[in-house]
Parts: sequence; C-alpha cells; structure tokens
Amino acid sequence: MSEVATSMEPRERLRVAVHGEDALRRAALGRMVAEGGHVVVGPSDIADVVLTDGEVRPGETRPVVLLGGADDSLSAVLPRDANPSQIDAAIRAVAVGLVVRLSATGETGFSAMRETEGHALLTPRELEVLAALAEGMTNKAIARRLDISLHTVKFHVESLFRKLGARTRTEAVAKASERRRRETIML
Amino acid sequence: MSDPTDPLVQFSNALVARAAAANNAVAAIRLGHGRHVTGMVWRSGVVVASEQALPRREEFELVAPGGSVVTAKIAGRDSSTNIAVLNSAESIAAPTIVAGEAQTGSVTLAVGADGMGGASARLGLVNLVGPEWHSSRGGVIERRIVLDIRLAGREEGGPVFDTAGAYLGMSTFGPRGQVIVIPSATIERIVPLLAKDGRIARGWLGVALQAVAVPDALRESADQSSGLMVMSVVENGPAAQAGIVAGDIILSVDGTPAHRFRKIARHFGSDSIGRKADIRLIRGGAVMTVQTTIAERQAA
Repeated sequence: MSEVATSMEPRERLRVAVHGEDALRRAALGRMVAEGGHVVVGPSDIADVVLTDGEVRPGETRPVVLLGGADDSLSAVLPRDANPSQIDAAIRAVAVGLVVRLSATGETGFSAMRETEGHALLTPRELEVLAALAEGMTNKAIARRLDISLHTVKFHVESLFRKLGARTRTEAVAKASERRRRETIML
Repeated sequence: MSDPTDPLVQFSNALVARAAAANNAVAAIRLGHGRHVTGMVWRSGVVVASEQALPRREEFELVAPGGSVVTAKIAGRDSSTNIAVLNSAESIAAPTIVAGEAQTGSVTLAVGADGMGGASARLGLVNLVGPEWHSSRGGVIERRIVLDIRLAGREEGGPVFDTAGAYLGMSTFGPRGQVIVIPSATIERIVPLLAKDGRIARGWLGVALQAVAVPDALRESADQSSGLMVMSVVENGPAAQAGIVAGDIILSVDGTPAHRFRKIARHFGSDSIGRKADIRLIRGGAVMTVQTTIAERQAA
C-alpha cells in the first residue's frame, strides 16, 4: 500500500516501512503513519524508518520503532498501546539518529521488587495529608479536615516533601502515586 | 597462517567448539511473522523459555536443533520467576547439562537459536553476582546475575555457559534492556513444579498492601518502626473473613516482622496454603492479633 500526499508538508516526509502482526493492525498503523504526513512503503522497499509491532528482520540496519517488547538494541521501543503522537515523534526522532525510550525506565524487562527505604516511608497521617493535597486542599482546609493545627499540617507537608524528594505539592502527589503504583503488593 | 599455539587462536577455537556443542541445547520458539525467541532443551521434549518473551498462547512451533519443526504446548508458566515450560509433541534429544555458579568477572557464552536449527553466540563477562532477590511479581530468584552482554530479542531465553561449559542459567532482559540471568538453581527449582502442575501455587490473603512508617506514638507497643498497611481487602478473601479492614497496619505474620514484603514472602509459598497464620496488626491505635487461614492465590 503506497500513498503520496498531494500537498507539501512543512515537516519532512519520511518513507516508513510498516510491519504488523496481522493485516488489520498493519492497516491501522499504516493509516496512523500516513496521517502523520509520511509515506507508507512495503517491508522490503527502501525506507527511512521501520515501524513494527513484532517482526524485526534479522540484520535490520534501518532505524526501527518497535511497539511492545524489550529489545534494547532497537532505536525506539514503545509500549504496544503507544498513542499516535508518541509513534510519530519516535519515527521522526529515529530518522535523525536519536534513540527513543519511555521515560518511566524499568517498565519493560524482568525487574526487582522496589521497596522504599525505611526512613522515607510515610506515616498513616502523612498519607491522609497527601490525599488532601491530591484534592488540591489548602493547609487551612487540611487542618480543619484532620482536626489538627495549621502548624502541624505544615510540619507534615514539609516531611512529605523531604521523604518524597518533592519541591511542590503537585510533585509530591505525583511521586507518591508513582510509588504506590510500583510498590503496592497484592497478597 | 594461524599459529595453533597462539593463545588468542586457542581461545577463539575453544569458543567455536563451545558454541557448536551448545547447538543441541537451543530451540527457536516461533512467534509468527519471522520472529522467534530462544528456548533451552532442558530434558528430552521439555523446553524452558523466558516467560515475559512468550505471547499468551497455548501452542507454538519450535525449530529443534538441526532444523526440524515440531509443535509444542505450554506446560506451565510463572511470571514471578519469568520461567515458562513447553512440551514438544516429538521428543528433542536433550544435551547433558551440568549446572555451574556464576562468578563476577568470569567469561560467559550466551547462546541463542538462529531460527533455522542453528545457534548464535555472544561473549561477555559476568558483570556482577549478588544475593537472592525478589522480582516485582513476588518470585524469589536465587542469585542476582548481570551480564555485560548485549542480546537480540530473538536470543532471550537461551542458556548461558561459563568457560568450563557449565550452565549458569537462562538469559533474559532486566530493566532498561540489561541482560540478566535466571540462575540454574531457580530453573531447577521451578521447572519440575511447572511441568507437574502448570503453575506455581502461592499463598493468598486477599489484601493490597503498602509499606508505611509506624506512628511514633505506637512504636514502643508495636516494637518496630514500619509495617504493611492494608489499602484494600478482597471481598470474602481470607483477610476479610478474619475481619481485617483497610487501614490496618500488619506488623508481623507468625512472628516474622512485616517490615518489608520481602521478609514475609517466604511465609506464603505453596506449603502455606490451608495453614493458619497469626497476624499481628495495629488497628485504631492498638496492637492486636487476628488469626486467618491462608488460601491459594488464583492466577492473575
């Protein structure tokens, strides 16, 4: 399937070879690539970039954007459900020699259980303050809700910042939720 | 032109011989569309592979050493130790395997299947060897072994040998594409269980837990500084039946402090199912003990 856009794009148009596990998926990826302003070419045609959700030719020398998998030797490794803008950005990046990974490192591959060091563990009270921060409450409102003094709230918030390595309330909420996601144990 | 007494030539020839000898230890597991991963021929007709590398499918085509194509069924898979076992319909002759211990700095050969009945080889060092560790899926891995080898996706799951030809374990991808080894001790422990039952049975309480610091006021009566707070309770699970509720902080299980999940993980092995467990916890500012019966965790 080859498609050439008629209007000139201000951005560079790349030739992208699309591999897909099945025809439907291949067609969807092809549409996504075409909508990004690129030209979809066949697997063995001359291409700037290979986009694949599975197969990688042995000895492939062109930059590859792989969707799903943990093969770190490839130019770009994205999750199988990566969104169109991530895929488009990855295609453009690998075409100019960059390497693309998800920012949440360690998401792929067999990894160790993460457990926070003892001194950085939050107390039940701090978790309550954090829940209030996540709702966007002010220190005053938190003091009222938890029936503690404003001074105590400030103390807890400072402790949260220190333990989570955060500088802002938003950052504290984000880091705590990331920690909860990674470290919650189902037993 | 090559001088047979040249140590480099000897080294290279020795590697060639090792790679050739390893050829009958690897089978390619076809994933479709020309892709494959590597399995290791463990026993006649039994192939061991990296669990994370295999799609959720019941049956695969294998390219056995020499190139014959046979079908194989999944006999069992365990994501907690990243081990999958396949049984092939036709027997594949198994090589003699001698297990070895990895040592930091030793030269290793990681072998993969080339997809056509042959082997591919990678040479490198054991980058580091560490103690037993717990995977993010809750499995215990006997040793932490990291290689300074780069591996192609199709080579994942193949055997890693030392220079004496001893089997150190199965290659797999760790975080950030790091190549790690599931040690032979873990393979030897898990594979027979998977081959027999198709799964690794584990104890279950029916709770989601998060490590927390014990409040200062309770540290003395709790006699420890951290525990595992119950974030949610599965309806009708063992914990729910014992009256455990969200917000409880578990301090110990049968006397073993629950500072960390790691510490109490071994209380929930397959032998724990059906056993009564005393759980010491903090609820509403008081320390108490409840008894529950450990159930079996259902497959995720």
